[in-house]
Amino acid sequence: MSRPDRREHEQIRALNCVLGQLTRTDGSAQFSSGSTSLICGIYGPIEAKLYEEKIDRAHIDVKLRPAIGLPATKDKWAESAVRKTFERNILGHLHPRTLVQINLQVKENDGSVDAAAINATALALVDAGIPLRAMVAAASCAVRKDGEIVVDPVEEEIKKAMSTHTFAFSSNSPDDNPVYVDSRGSFTMDQYDRCFDLCAMTVQRILAFMRTAIEGKVAKESQISAV
Amino acid sequence: MTDIKVVIPGDAVDTHMEVDGQEQQVLRLGPGLSHIGDTINAVNAGVLHSSSDGSQYWVVSNKRRYVAAEGEPVVGVVVARHAEGYRVDIGSAHDALLPLLAFEGATKRNKPNLAVGTTVYARVSVANSLMDPEIECFNSNTGKAEGFGELGEGFMFKCSLGLARRLFSSKAPVLNALGSKLPFEVAVGLNGRVWINTEKPETTVLVANAIKNSEFLDAKQCRQMVNELLDKH
Repeated sequence: MSRPDRREHEQIRALNCVLGQLTRTDGSAQFSSGSTSLICGIYGPIEAKLYEEKIDRAHIDVKLRPAIGLPATKDKWAESAVRKTFERNILGHLHPRTLVQINLQVKENDGSVDAAAINATALALVDAGIPLRAMVAAASCAVRKDGEIVVDPVEEEIKKAMSTHTFAFSSNSPDDNPVYVDSRGSFTMDQYDRCFDLCAMTVQRILAFMRTAIEGKVAKESQISAV
Repeated sequence: MTDIKVVIPGDAVDTHMEVDGQEQQVLRLGPGLSHIGDTINAVNAGVLHSSSDGSQYWVVSNKRRYVAAEGEPVVGVVVARHAEGYRVDIGSAHDALLPLLAFEGATKRNKPNLAVGTTVYARVSVANSLMDPEIECFNSNTGKAEGFGELGEGFMFKCSLGLARRLFSSKAPVLNALGSKLPFEVAVGLNGRVWINTEKPETTVLVANAIKNSEFLDAKQCRQMVNELLDKH
């Protein structure tokens, strides 16, 4: 059975990203995977409000707005996915008593938004110059009713899927040690393992894509300063 | 300079370097590098630089949010006055403290009186992550102002920290191109704030636009851009 957009099972949608698009934020990035697209704007490190100030590290605040309507439970879930992934990856102890505010706006939602949100945030954090332990990227996959596993599912596939899985990996931790895991639906252990391997492989591709994007931006800036 | 080495967060940096057959003993890590576990990793994306003897490494990256560092000149705005000093907004996470006595010739009886909203040019004297930054408008060794102090009439605007760093060097092409054509005063803060003053508001707008435009231009393009702006002026 073929996929709605005629992709191979292990094929992701076309990736696209723009760094530093927003001029008034401290850092920003737009990340698109096919028609799923998000824009992330970051302020930080800025002054934290008294009640959220942490004496030994930076407070990380994530806000996500859906493409249509007000934030619902699934958007809060995506916020927590981003927060859990980056709370340990940002070197918050370097900027104690400050706030790093991550604002995400979904531009278009066609499945795998949680993974795209993590990817957009990773790029925006780099653009903002927030110190990071490593690069992080995420990928999703879905187990269909016929048992086939498809990567980077679109909304139609997620609706019909038996289970969906999102994994995030960091660039310098081994592949068997994800930084974020979210699995929902009913699945067997074998299916989980196959999803894990497929996402780990996909994340390597996304990380390579991110590296190219960041290197392009840095090279553009450094060429001028070298004069 | 040799070829450019770009690093992104998480990249391990090989700092092993032998000079005259002897291994370096002391290694200094500058901005953008951190000792995590048993490797030295980049924590910011940027261009890796090292000193010629291999004892110092740092990453040059561009940002828009200032993090105070000791000794750097900054342009700030007075936001409040306390008994012991002024609170100055320098664009970092926390406002900086400018003691009343940190001015040239200031004594307990004779202190400068700055109104809220005044722009000042100062040097960061205390900067660490645990304390609010402190700034001073004089050199505490000589007691002289050395160009620091209140910035009077003029116009302040923001730019990226990378551009501010480039403007700060005496070779900044855009400032040289502008300076050869018209007179103006400029104070560059490494916190991404630039203060300028000219005789006429029109010229101030021109200078501010020229500096903002120069973000992604090289020396030749800068001169061309300045000439184009002057032709329209």
